[in-house]
Amino acid sequence: MNAFKRDKKEEEEGGGNPFQNIEKTTVLQEARTFNDTPLNPRKCAHILTKILYLLNQGEQLGTMEATEAFFAMTKLFQSRDVVLRRMVYLGIKELSSIAEDVIIVTSSLTKDMTGKEDLYRAAAIRALCSITDVSMLQAIERYMKQAIVDRNPAVSSAALVSSLHLTKIAGDMVKRWVNEAQEAVNSDSVMVQYHALGVLYHIRKSDRLAVTKLVAKLTRNSLKSPYAVCMLIRIACKLLEEEDSNGNSSPDSPLFEFIESCLRHKSEMVIYEAAHAIVNLRRTTSRELAPAVSVLQLFCSSPKPTLRFAAVRTLNKVAMSHPAAVTACNLDLENLITDSNRSIATLAITTLLKTGAESSVDRLMKQIASFVSEISDEFKIVVVQAIRALCLKFPRKHSVLMNFLSAMLRDEGGLEYKASIADTIITIIEENPEAKETGLAHLCEFIEDCEHTSLAVRILHLLGREGPRTRQPFRYIRFIYNRVILENAPVRAAAVAAMAQFGATCPDLLPNVQVLLARCQMDTDDEVRDRATYYHSILEKQNKALSNHYIVEGLQVSVPSLERALHQYTLNPTETAFDIKSVPLAAVTPADENANKMAANAGGMLITPALPGSKAAVAAATANTVTREETYLEKLRAVPELANLSISLFHSSDPVELTESETEYVVRCVKHCFPEHLVLQFDCTNTLNDQLLENVHVQLEAPDGYHIVRSVPCARLPFNETGSTYIVLQYPDELPASVGTFSATLKFLVKDCDPATGQPDSDEGYDDEYMLEDVEVTLADQVQKVSKTNFGSAWEEAASTHSELEDTYSLSTMGTLEEAVRNIINFLGLQPAERSDKVPEGKSSHTLYLAGVFRGGHEVLVRAKLALAEGVTMQLTVRSTDPDVAELVTSTIG
Amino acid sequence: MGIWDKLTRLLGLKKREVNVLVVGLNNSGKSTVINHFKSEEERSTEIVATVGFNVEKFRNKNVGFTAFDMSGQGRYRDLWEHYYKECQGIIFVVDSSDRLRLVVVRDELDLLLQHPDVTGRRIPILFFANKMDIREALSSVKIAAALGLERILDKPWHICASNALTGEGLQEGVEWLTQQIRELVSNK
Ligand SMILES: Nc1nc2c(ncn2[C@@H]2O[C@H](COP(=O)(O)OP(=O)(O)OP(=O)(O)O)[C@@H](O)[C@H]2O)c(=O)[nH]1
Ligand SMILES: [Mg+2]
Repeated sequence: MNAFKRDKKEEEEGGGNPFQNIEKTTVLQEARTFNDTPLNPRKCAHILTKILYLLNQGEQLGTMEATEAFFAMTKLFQSRDVVLRRMVYLGIKELSSIAEDVIIVTSSLTKDMTGKEDLYRAAAIRALCSITDVSMLQAIERYMKQAIVDRNPAVSSAALVSSLHLTKIAGDMVKRWVNEAQEAVNSDSVMVQYHALGVLYHIRKSDRLAVTKLVAKLTRNSLKSPYAVCMLIRIACKLLEEEDSNGNSSPDSPLFEFIESCLRHKSEMVIYEAAHAIVNLRRTTSRELAPAVSVLQLFCSSPKPTLRFAAVRTLNKVAMSHPAAVTACNLDLENLITDSNRSIATLAITTLLKTGAESSVDRLMKQIASFVSEISDEFKIVVVQAIRALCLKFPRKHSVLMNFLSAMLRDEGGLEYKASIADTIITIIEENPEAKETGLAHLCEFIEDCEHTSLAVRILHLLGREGPRTRQPFRYIRFIYNRVILENAPVRAAAVAAMAQFGATCPDLLPNVQVLLARCQMDTDDEVRDRATYYHSILEKQNKALSNHYIVEGLQVSVPSLERALHQYTLNPTETAFDIKSVPLAAVTPADENANKMAANAGGMLITPALPGSKAAVAAATANTVTREETYLEKLRAVPELANLSISLFHSSDPVELTESETEYVVRCVKHCFPEHLVLQFDCTNTLNDQLLENVHVQLEAPDGYHIVRSVPCARLPFNETGSTYIVLQYPDELPASVGTFSATLKFLVKDCDPATGQPDSDEGYDDEYMLEDVEVTLADQVQKVSKTNFGSAWEEAASTHSELEDTYSLSTMGTLEEAVRNIINFLGLQPAERSDKVPEGKSSHTLYLAGVFRGGHEVLVRAKLALAEGVTMQLTVRSTDPDVAELVTSTIG
Repeated sequence: MGIWDKLTRLLGLKKREVNVLVVGLNNSGKSTVINHFKSEEERSTEIVATVGFNVEKFRNKNVGFTAFDMSGQGRYRDLWEHYYKECQGIIFVVDSSDRLRLVVVRDELDLLLQHPDVTGRRIPILFFANKMDIREALSSVKIAAALGLERILDKPWHICASNALTGEGLQEGVEWLTQQIRELVSNK
């Protein structure tokens, strides 16, 4: 108690954080005093606190360090100081996942959990469950069962929650505690009842009938704990959703009745949970929705901020699915716009924006404008996101919205906020060609006075890409060159790169660009000078192909892979030159996935996409995760039989299921394409707990021309584990023969075993096999997507350097252009360029551009002209560096 | 240890507190032995195989003992060494009826004696030739010979036959240990 008082006083005096300057090595040194006899409990507790503090600050301990600290800590069990003991439990939990031999404290903890000191018991259970493993569990099962039904609610809750955690490592054992959990559901303690329901549900959740029974019983009994009722509502919802998706929903299900009745519960928490559930259920009709929305509406004017927040957040989420119902709350929402809690205010506004009609956009935007300067960046971003949604919904409103955004751009604000605005403008430009020039103009104006280097760099890159293809490219040059005069080095470098794009794409601007680039060669910064020299000398050649490859398109390979390949190359000196073709290409990630990744990476911060050779590009690329191929290659290399395959894994397919779901054995196949070889990886999972499989392999019947080089079996496959077996094939010499169907059978030796221990009953086994679905090897498996920034110039250039084939097809089964586009992309496995995968609404013809590389490094460019006429007709033109590849592309369609 | 602490210790003003380590193969009766030393009300009625270790406290002749009762199962024996450094006495319990595993006991004892944290220290070792009540139990003399105790020259040791269920022999042993520890402390 005294200690608390003193700390508080220190805080008031502005003592600051007492742990600010502590350091790992010193603290671990101090932890050695745990070994002293006699112990000083106060001192030890203080040191333990420091260790916990460090761990919670994200400090990493090595296995050795953690183990040493852990064993020192075990000696503290000799002290009977309650505070210290409880600190020890926390320490055990934190270190349990890092240190070795943590089971050493099992008996000590079991003693505490069954002992007389109530202050120990619950915490000891939690610590015990964090150190235990499956082999130890049997020894403590009896104590866990007793603890679940203990009279002390803290003990019972601790045991229940720990059981839930244990289901991850020993689901079957926890299932045996169902009677105890059942008893605990009847507890008078609200927490125990809640936790017990959690465990019961978890035990039964895979058995639909059992869950239904459980819910039916409990909805009749009226649980005492509001927490438990909330959980029951969630379980009921899940059952309802399942009923609906199975197509056997009944209009007046007792489950729904139960949820609805909870709207009249006496606890606000339960009322809210029920309303939330009803508005989110897909089956809810507008009649059923009404009472739930009125509850939320009522909450909107509650004096409790939590309730207002919960209500407006829920309304915000369903604004799109039930606009009418949410509009009914408009008046209440408008009142919340001025709520002193800004989270509530922002959610209210964005909800209104989502439900507003096109006609109300102007009024609402004015309203936001009045207060947007008062809210923090975090909420401004929410507003920006709402505007983004609005732009996509009402493309015609782009000028109002764009003006608004540019006004926001001019205001004060942090990087994240500015980046989200710029991002939104960029999205609008990309989605709506009509908005392009205005959008670019706003961005030009913005970079005139932009304090965020990374953002300026990104916008310059965009100007370089989009500017040359506008009606008046020269207008952008001035803005860009201004940057060269006024900005710091990274921005100048980006400006140089952007100007070069104009030089490469607009012949009439080339002389001017060259003059400007020549001036930049006098820059004080190395990078800027290097770039200027690089671009200037390429442009000087006036060679279309050269500038396409080295300015317009830039680097296509994955930068981390390039780095690794170069490093490898320098390690083994050789006469031959480095072959960039051996480096895997950068994976093309879909735009939205990319955006998500960026948001996750830097909390919504923008990262410059690859400018050729720029430092920012390298940083961005290395920050990105390695390609799928890299990850697989590492796994393949670890298999000794596969180690001598060519180092360059060209392409790996998505996993394909070769079994129906919920069968005895689950098999998925990944097709790895190497320049000359195909490796089929079969990931097999054994779902039978009474079988141990050995020598698991796949027998394959390959189409003519394929030659099976080797099969690598999986030696052992115990229950619930996934193992891989591989087949290495050589591709046929004739390209057309490489596309075909393999029939596959899984073969293995079965040993029956005891489900409890997993030990085989005897050494004898019997052979068995299992039919798999056919494996298809397609064209798409043999190509890698490549994204072309300027497809037009690449296509033009290819006219003279590539072989061309053309053919016309009638795709009679396709009803729309979108469908045709989607199918062609999937079928060919190539990357759409110039956003040509988006078919503008209401058009009856469309041209799709695709690009990629076939194994062996042959470029493939495809132009597909589509027209809607009783199905879709398609004129397909293929240009490839290899005539056989072009032939393959045209022949496999059809 | 500060000068003041040393002084008070020497004068015997402060109660003596010592750590002892209790080792031996599994099922030899370590936990049962320790349980017997505890006061009537603290004693557990049921003893299960130890997993890891347990700390128990008891007093004998004004010396407070903190006993680290280790688990004797094969997979945990490697963990004993973590507790060697801090102990001032060792109780080594042998199941004298388990002839088959006497060689294992000898191996484990040798490992213990050769450990850097034990070797060269004058640390008293008390052996209990436990389960003397069982008919085929070997005598303490035979056990001493089988383990080669005569080789231990640099440490005081003592062996007594015991029955941990009745407590027979335990008192004699612990009194010897208490005496040894007293001597050690006052010679410091
Ligand atoms: N007959 C007889 N049985 C004993 C004696 N001492 C212990 N036992 C029994 O031997 C068994 C094992 O005793 P424990 O005390 O658990 O043995 P331990 O050495 O602590 O074993 P671990 O903790 O596994 O290392 C128990 O069933 C005891 O009742 C004894 O002197 N005579
Ligand atoms: Mg024991």
